[in-house]
Amino acid sequence: MAKQKILIVDDSEMNRSILADILGEEFDVIEACDGFEAINTMRSYGVELSLVLLDVVMPRMDGFEVLAMMNNYKWIQDIPVIMISAENSSSYMDRAYELGATDYIQRPFDALVVRRRAINTIMLYSKQKRLIGLVEDQIYEKEKEQSLMINILSHIVEFRNGESGLHVLHIHTMTEILLQNLLKRTDKYQLSLQEISLIATASALHDIGKIGIDDKILNKPGRLTPEEFEQMKNHAAYGAEVLDKMPFYKNEPLVRIAREICRWHHERYDGRGYPDGLKGDEIPISAQVVALADVYDALTSERVYKKAIPHETAIEMILNGECGAFNPVLLGVLKWVADRIQVELRVNSVGEISKQDLNRITKEVVSHEELSVSKRTINLFEREREKYRFIAAMSKEIMFELYADPVTVSFFDESAHKLGVDMIIPNPLEDEKLIACLGKENMIEFGKLIRSATHDDSIVSFECDVKMDGEPRHCRILAMTQYNLNDDTDTYEYVGTVGKIEDITEEYSKMKALEQAATHDSLTGLMNHAHAKSIIQEKLSEQTEKKFLLAVMDMDNFKAINDTYGHIAGDEALKNISAKIKNVLPSDGVAARIGGDEFMIFWECIGDAEASAKKIFRAFKVKFEQDDASLSMGISTSDFSRDYEELFRLADMALYAAKDAGKQRCLFYDESMKGIDLPLRTKCDS
Amino acid sequence: MTTEELYQTIGGNYREVLGRFMTEDRVLRFVKKFPADGSFELLKTSLENGVQEEAFRAAHTIKGVAQNLGFTALYEKVVVVTEILRGGSMEVAEYMPELERLYKLTVESILKLN
Repeated sequence: MAKQKILIVDDSEMNRSILADILGEEFDVIEACDGFEAINTMRSYGVELSLVLLDVVMPRMDGFEVLAMMNNYKWIQDIPVIMISAENSSSYMDRAYELGATDYIQRPFDALVVRRRAINTIMLYSKQKRLIGLVEDQIYEKEKEQSLMINILSHIVEFRNGESGLHVLHIHTMTEILLQNLLKRTDKYQLSLQEISLIATASALHDIGKIGIDDKILNKPGRLTPEEFEQMKNHAAYGAEVLDKMPFYKNEPLVRIAREICRWHHERYDGRGYPDGLKGDEIPISAQVVALADVYDALTSERVYKKAIPHETAIEMILNGECGAFNPVLLGVLKWVADRIQVELRVNSVGEISKQDLNRITKEVVSHEELSVSKRTINLFEREREKYRFIAAMSKEIMFELYADPVTVSFFDESAHKLGVDMIIPNPLEDEKLIACLGKENMIEFGKLIRSATHDDSIVSFECDVKMDGEPRHCRILAMTQYNLNDDTDTYEYVGTVGKIEDITEEYSKMKALEQAATHDSLTGLMNHAHAKSIIQEKLSEQTEKKFLLAVMDMDNFKAINDTYGHIAGDEALKNISAKIKNVLPSDGVAARIGGDEFMIFWECIGDAEASAKKIFRAFKVKFEQDDASLSMGISTSDFSRDYEELFRLADMALYAAKDAGKQRCLFYDESMKGIDLPLRTKCDS
Repeated sequence: MTTEELYQTIGGNYREVLGRFMTEDRVLRFVKKFPADGSFELLKTSLENGVQEEAFRAAHTIKGVAQNLGFTALYEKVVVVTEILRGGSMEVAEYMPELERLYKLTVESILKLN
């Protein structure tokens, strides 16, 4: 058998090692150097921990805060705590016991005493856990036998009636759901969980009076005559009578409630039911609820005289008052839980006590606090955690968990290593290693996304650069936020997030390359015409206060270069020009190759337009004298037009005017060029 | 120096410690760890830097360790400092020289153990 695990929490390494030395032989010792670490260790080990030895004075989070937190999470009920402290004032000890510590050991401690007390505490707790298990099993057996008897009894009635045993079960389930939710909606009816369970059990007996009804009437396929119906109605009173005449147990709560249900489950809220014509809340709530469940199940089941009606129709008929009047509050509850009823009735199998039921009963018996769960559930939960850990380790993905309170991030072993961060990180926004890995702004952005998620929309996806093994990688963070349902307020409270970090660098750079290819010229690396146009149009229409210049230019003797030196030299010349353009282009300017040897430059004009243009044009001249090549350029300004097509046309006219005037020059468009007839250009919008 | 002689030199209670720790070997092992504990340095620097809370925790740790190891003289001195710091005051200057002397004596003596 594996050794039991003990968690030692102390900020002094020395104290920890003394304790570890004393206890190490018998136990598997885990250490934590402050309260924060302790909480996180408890979080990952849960009830695997058999005992916590807890110091009081510690940095970050002290022993009392740890105890408070353990109360908060209800861990204190399952993990015993022994406080160890040099403090011997009684107020310290009182506080520790009040917060649920099992024992208090003073320093300087005696090796033998520590060992003995640790062992005793663990034995006590495991004995208690074993007892809980025993009680659970016994209650389970007892409850099973009891409902078995009731089921047999009520089945006799149904058997005679030609119904399946499911009717009783359905009524049981539905009664329970209705009552539990009624409790949430109103405090008008004082019902304990135990009473609800009793009513649900007693509901099985609602029709026992039918034992006294003639077979011929009970199983008549057609409509009953008025006389037959009068006889049939007697089953309510008969049932109550049977129970009334019981020689023993007559005053047992179960029998008392069953009697109410038998006699009054055909009463209606408006006083038009039978046998007594009771009105409103004169009818006990037990009988009201069973009546509603009975009507619903009768509608949705097939009987000798009718076919089954679908769930939705049945609910609607009841709500419309087609089956008699019911308590409006109860109808509200029915409407509210209708969907759940449909699901539950489908899944519930015969003769089984639901898990919730068992938990609840156990809880009451061992008077554990309300939210605690049975050992069975904890075991199940532990198994789930184990599976999860295994899958996380196998997948080699970076998985993380984020807790809301206290705010903590945790990574699995290898993930933390890959990212170069700690496995458990309290206050992530302050953690330097994590900030170096993710970037603070990304963390803040991601935090915002988490906060905007809701229970219904809980998946969050976020892309950012993440350092892995020291290299920046482009990653996608996929996460799911998690919530707890607060039964009191019926709202979801955020408790944490789980997620993974996926390296999508390759996918991302492929995307980027495709984007580049679609928008840029492959030879020169400048934009293509279509892309430049869309950017320029945006600038013209959005930055209306700015003045822009648009220049169109081409080489004066490109054909000659191609013919004389070959196409490779021609391409070189184009690349040279592009490099020049990139050099002189103002930082938010736009430059594109719009076809062949034609280029376009667009930039914001600050100061004198002509000077600005000349500065750019001159840059090309120098270069091209060496290359034995020259350029002409035509320019238009946004003063003429803020429409791209028009602006482009004007610049193009200026370019032709420049060519006409003898090339190698740069001209601004003016009114005198109005008449220039432009040759047909190839459109480059594709 | 033997363990017993060490306790005599520094004003500790060897019998009592042995009673609690059960074996001589265990006492010796933890006594030898004492010089490596950085709490005294931390106490000094946090006093210099005026970080009262940290000074308190450091003094508190020394107190616990000294008590555990049965270093009675040292324990008695550090208790005084701890209590002043616990109250939120930093006025411990008058006790520090004696505490430091005892601390150094303890560490030096431990290093002389066979």
